Amino acid sequence: MTHRLASFALVFSALVGCAARADESAPPAASAEARAQSLERKIETLSRELDALKNELKQVENQNEALAAQQQQQAVLAQQQSAVQNGGGPWDRLSLWGYGEVNYYHPQHRPEDTQADLARAVFGIGYRFGERTVFNSEYEVEHAVSSADDPGEFEVEQFWVDHRFAGWGAVKAGLFLMPFGLLNEHHEPTNYYGVQRNFVETLIIPSTWREGGVGLHGDTVSGLGWDLGLTTGFDLSKYELNPETPLYGRASELKEASPLQATHQELALANAQHLAQYLALNYHGLPGFLFGAAVFTGNAGRVDRSAHLPDSRLTLWEAHARWRPGRADFAAVFARGTLGDTAATNALNPGASNPLPGSFFGYYLQGAYDVWRRDQTRLAPFLRWERYNVGASYAGLAAGFAAVPAGFPQPYDRVWTYGMNFYLNPHVVFKADYQSFQNNADFTRFDLGVGLNF
Amino acid sequence: MSSHLHSPSVAALLAALWLAACSSGSGTGLSSLSPAARLGERLFEDTALSASGQQSCATCHVARFAFAENPGLDGPDRGSPVPLGGPEMDRPGFRNTPSLKYVSYTPAFHFEADGTPVGGFFRDGRAASLAEQAQQPFLTSFEMANADAAAVLDKLKTRPYFAEFVAFYGAQAGRDPQIALARIGAAIAAYELEDEDFHPFSSKYDYWRRGRAALSAQELEGLRLFNDPTKGNCAACHPSTSADGVTPPLFTDFTYDNLGLPRNAAIAANRDEEAPEYTPANGTDGVHRYYDLGLCGPFRTDLAQRSDLCGAFKVPSLRNAALTAPYFHNGAFATLAEAIRFYVRRDTDPAQWYPAAAHASEIVKFDDLPAAFGGHFVVDLDVAGSDAGYRGNVNTVEVPYDRRLGDSPALNDEEIAKVVAFVCTLTDGYDPDHPEDYAALLPAQCPQSAADSIP
Repeated sequence: MTHRLASFALVFSALVGCAARADESAPPAASAEARAQSLERKIETLSRELDALKNELKQVENQNEALAAQQQQQAVLAQQQSAVQNGGGPWDRLSLWGYGEVNYYHPQHRPEDTQADLARAVFGIGYRFGERTVFNSEYEVEHAVSSADDPGEFEVEQFWVDHRFAGWGAVKAGLFLMPFGLLNEHHEPTNYYGVQRNFVETLIIPSTWREGGVGLHGDTVSGLGWDLGLTTGFDLSKYELNPETPLYGRASELKEASPLQATHQELALANAQHLAQYLALNYHGLPGFLFGAAVFTGNAGRVDRSAHLPDSRLTLWEAHARWRPGRADFAAVFARGTLGDTAATNALNPGASNPLPGSFFGYYLQGAYDVWRRDQTRLAPFLRWERYNVGASYAGLAAGFAAVPAGFPQPYDRVWTYGMNFYLNPHVVFKADYQSFQNNADFTRFDLGVGLNF
Repeated sequence: MSSHLHSPSVAALLAALWLAACSSGSGTGLSSLSPAARLGERLFEDTALSASGQQSCATCHVARFAFAENPGLDGPDRGSPVPLGGPEMDRPGFRNTPSLKYVSYTPAFHFEADGTPVGGFFRDGRAASLAEQAQQPFLTSFEMANADAAAVLDKLKTRPYFAEFVAFYGAQAGRDPQIALARIGAAIAAYELEDEDFHPFSSKYDYWRRGRAALSAQELEGLRLFNDPTKGNCAACHPSTSADGVTPPLFTDFTYDNLGLPRNAAIAANRDEEAPEYTPANGTDGVHRYYDLGLCGPFRTDLAQRSDLCGAFKVPSLRNAALTAPYFHNGAFATLAEAIRFYVRRDTDPAQWYPAAAHASEIVKFDDLPAAFGGHFVVDLDVAGSDAGYRGNVNTVEVPYDRRLGDSPALNDEEIAKVVAFVCTLTDGYDPDHPEDYAALLPAQCPQSAADSIP
């Protein structure tokens, strides 16, 4: 770029100098007019070239900003894994990291449901056994206190070993995050816009989604990442067809409505009679762009093993894209799941308040822009529109019976989220947003949050 | 040692001993019961262990009534909603006898994370285990009425199976009264746990779930109304689905609820000055001398300070409910239809259930609960909204008892009949090869059509 600008300057000064000399020599009129026209054409040409160069320069600046944003995030990851990458002694081989978030939710129409919550506090431990073999684990406390009398949970979110057996590939085994969507593998609060994770990647893709099993993964030189494996899956016997009270009455309880949130096993004495398969592809060969898709399929068993019912196959697939031109950040995710052979289950439970859906889906579009940036501090307003339906279709319902009884919150919605992330630095983010629900209007709320990641 | 155990000859010997032990307990040949359970069966049925010599567990827990009481006038309780016992078999108890069927699936008493009380044995959950529960009637003055454990042991020593009891539980169990009583409880619990008669899962509904029986249109519609959270909403507390994905549905979630049942004057303890002298006098409101408050007393003592739990009783299984009349802890209702009608009309038509107050148009709702806990709630039938703003322990939130004066009941009589028809399909003993025999098992309150459908 610098060379091209210099060349342009030389040509321009030569032309200008030439024109000046022409004026001094005072040529005949016809010839002078012809030369003037020639010069005008040249200036016009140069003007167009100048515009083209300006555009090119702008693009390069945008790319540089996108790269800077990526570098900030990579710096966080690099710091997390520094010991793993560079260590020597036992302590250098050990890596420690953490993240967490404290949130405040204020439902606009039901202020009595306002909550403040230490939503999660997580610490991670990694260890490098050698040049090729790494261990990673994460431990999470949700909702501050975990005991028999409190709502919190303590859980192991990741616990896996990764071994690079060749330049082109590695094998992982243990409890690991499923490579689905934009958020599941990168679910730290600094990595998403809004106080809460989006609904598509909560209700349809059940983040934080992890399974036990083995996987193979790698990247090609052209920038195609691949990941496939054999894992535990979902267990439909955990699905509750007749809950005593509606499963959710406010936005913060919506996770209860998700069939996959209700039936994921988290490797806690997981039913492993049937193993599931997954395949995920991500292309990141173009700077600032990410495209990907993934599919998961496996036998999820039966809601009720004591009854004569067929097993049900669960298939979940998704596609995602992210484009970060300069200060902007655009993202889109589509996810859809299907459950097979649900008719017999629903026929066995006529009138159930929470029948088993045959399909569910969701998608969102999101845009964010860094309106202000100084050093590592930046302010990024964002806008997200999403649609979800955790009960898109049902089979085997009693004639004339609605899947969702009158007066119960609907399992589908369209949601606008407006808000902003203020990054004090790449590790600390303050968030505010307003979520407007089209169908379940009572869920509309204002949220505040602070998240960190180190 | 392990190699000896694995040798074929020793294994054969052990097998032979086991078969011999099994065959000795039953005149019909092999029994699947363990020695403890076989002892428990004999203890369960032995009237000689009571002060009257006329009462055993089986007297009140009759097999053909799903191990609940015989409600007939010709039964041992002569039609009383509570059992009779004591040295002369003339002392009425306090609560309607619960069915022992499927009772072994009850979890130990505990509070869930959200504060919901769950499980435990007896209607107030005061016994931590089935074995603990089984001991208590032996010493209760209005039941088997032994003065103490020593009196029980003295009687046990006279029984023909005493030697077997000592051989199995050890000499100390034959000498120490406390240990003897504890072992009696353990043996009875083993019997209730092991014998298939207590949990056969052989109802028409079970066979329908397995694809071997068909429900009639009426029964199926009854199930829909039973589940429907805007109609019966019965499944909210009596789940029709498996709790763990493996055990067939138990039709109880073992939680507790306060239904605001009407006081039952047929229970002697409720007759104030005429109540038996052994009635606990826990009434302090000047209205009644005694109230049965379930979780908070008077028979359970550890939750006496939890006033929010006063009046709450454990949700029973509805399996075999057609056989276990009368209904609720105080046996207030004689039929399933009446019990369901109470659920749906308690608040829409309180005059049907509760006594009148001082003024002609006023009704005293929840008259079996002190006012301090939300009882004796006076509503004026002529004043719309006089039942609004209720604050008390009685559940007035969930369907179907979320209604008010003048509202339509959640179920009409036709729908109630359908729900009854469905509940009748929960009666054990269906034979898929002879579905025509099922009708004979069902009591009169079940529609005959309940047995009509053919697979």
